[in-house]
Amino acid sequence: MNLKNISIALTVLVFGVIAMLFMQKGNYVNQAKEHYDATTAKSFKGNSMVLELVNNGLDLNKATWAIACQALQTVKTSQDMARLEAKFFPATKGTMSLANKTRRFEASSANVIVANFGKVEEDKKTGVKSLADLQSVDVSVLLGNVVTAAAESEEAEEGEE
Amino acid sequence: MDRKKMKILVVVDTVILVALIIILMTLKGGYEEQAKRTANEQESAYLEQNTQVLVEQWRSIDQYGMAWKLVYSMLSGAKTEAAFKANLAAIEGDKDARFKQISHVYTGAGINDAVQNGIYQKAGLAEGTILVKNEKNVKEVACGKDCVVKFTFAKGKMKSVDYSALVEYNLAKTLKIEKPAEYHFE
Repeated sequence: MNLKNISIALTVLVFGVIAMLFMQKGNYVNQAKEHYDATTAKSFKGNSMVLELVNNGLDLNKATWAIACQALQTVKTSQDMARLEAKFFPATKGTMSLANKTRRFEASSANVIVANFGKVEEDKKTGVKSLADLQSVDVSVLLGNVVTAAAESEEAEEGEE
Repeated sequence: MDRKKMKILVVVDTVILVALIIILMTLKGGYEEQAKRTANEQESAYLEQNTQVLVEQWRSIDQYGMAWKLVYSMLSGAKTEAAFKANLAAIEGDKDARFKQISHVYTGAGINDAVQNGIYQKAGLAEGTILVKNEKNVKEVACGKDCVVKFTFAKGKMKSVDYSALVEYNLAKTLKIEKPAEYHFE
């Protein structure tokens, strides 16, 4: 009788150990999976954010560059410049400085261009002054030289239109 | 069951039990090591694949920046084939300016210096020249992944520049971070 009990207990134990063998594998696989999921999810989130932020940032950057380059091809007066700005940024207007003969357009603090004009013109009927004879477009901010353009904004006045 | 068979069963059970315990102890280390190794390998492969996308983005933006600078230079300065060559050489050669311009785009997008430096360490700057077509009257420069700017010349003078690809440039169409695949235990 005693022997019978021992043999039953041993048989149960054998099956128990077999079950443990399989559970042990599952346990390690789960631990590894958790680590893998956490690491890859963090990488996915972080890198996707960088990719997206930079891609979105390019939208402002390319539109500002486009204004600068198209201005060199088509713009003569500050009104032309205002129209070009509105084509790319309907909600943002540049600011004009009659004293400096410049028109500064700021899509964002990182995306700024300054158009330099040769003369100030006055509409004889309305007396409104504007700038004419585009000389150059300063893109130093777009090239990463942020200091240059920050100084330009000080004497800016509200643009026409 | 008679006593003799019981005895045999007890002996067999004991032998199996001891064998199983030995197997259990042996496999324990094996499973643990294997699970860690496969997880690390798959993590590294995924991280590397992700990093490669950011590397490609960084280099594309280098080309993008150089292309804009070249277009701007050609529109604001001398519009000749000789000026094109000189501008291109000057822009490509000024590596500090290139880094500054890329970094400016990233900073403007809200990416901090540490992340930028991490990418720059792996990406460097775009390799080779951006000049992808150099025929007598037609020059094309790469302006990023799947982006080309075309300059047309006649008798050494620039006739036109088509930079519409730059104005419409959209990296989101070509670069994507893939979701991680499921972990698999090999």
